[in-house]
Amino acid sequence: MNEYYNQYMQSCNTSQKGLAEAYVPFQKYISAYSPEQGLVRGTIFPELDKPYMEKKSGGINYGC
Amino acid sequence: MWVYEKKLQYPANVCKPDIKMAKFLIAQYGGPDGELAAALRYQTQRYTMPTGQSKATLTDIGTEELAHLEIIATMVFKLLKGVPVEQLKKEGLGENYVEHDRGIFYNDTTGTLWTAAYIQAKGDVIADLHEDMAAEEKARATYEHLINLTDDPCVKDTLKFLREREIVHFQRFGETLGRVREHLEGKKYF
Repeated sequence: MNEYYNQYMQSCNTSQKGLAEAYVPFQKYISAYSPEQGLVRGTIFPELDKPYMEKKSGGINYGC
Repeated sequence: MWVYEKKLQYPANVCKPDIKMAKFLIAQYGGPDGELAAALRYQTQRYTMPTGQSKATLTDIGTEELAHLEIIATMVFKLLKGVPVEQLKKEGLGENYVEHDRGIFYNDTTGTLWTAAYIQAKGDVIADLHEDMAAEEKARATYEHLINLTDDPCVKDTLKFLREREIVHFQRFGETLGRVREHLEGKKYF
């Protein structure tokens, strides 16, 4: 990386990631559903369980 | 090599035959953002992944996408079971009947054939993983559109399961991108 990049990074909050890089936080293990519930939900991890909020009529749905 | 289990990853129940929904669902079979594209994309990109972890992630997720392909095929088959030819013709599957009868084929909702041009194996791990993350989001969006298009609670249930898997896969590809980047950065100091 060049010196401008390093200066930029130093001027920013250190928890920030680099420019021009996509970043997904690492998942840490906290808890898990039972195998049965995991199958029903589509994941054993409650923090990744993001069901779709169905569209009732028109409009844009950003449901998570 | 693979080990085949003679069961579906998740039940593919349908409450009643539904020709229109079968036609829509085929998007996730042979469409550009469907399960075949996902499975084949990951299974071929894995060769140029730089670490054991990234290779394994693509192999595992690519394998699971094959299981999803099976689920979609089963649902389409059940949605068309026992439907008379006259009905198929009336609901827009006449052309499909000419070529395939009740066979499940790799095309999208408009009958456009699946093509390898839908996918890429760039040989560049950063580019490939970004494509994979985009693929998961496109498949998630497609599942949401399909959920909006059906009133069948059985079909909705299976589609919701498949949609959630896309979210989990996105997370895993994202983590892989982070690990691979650390690996590439680390190499510079040896």
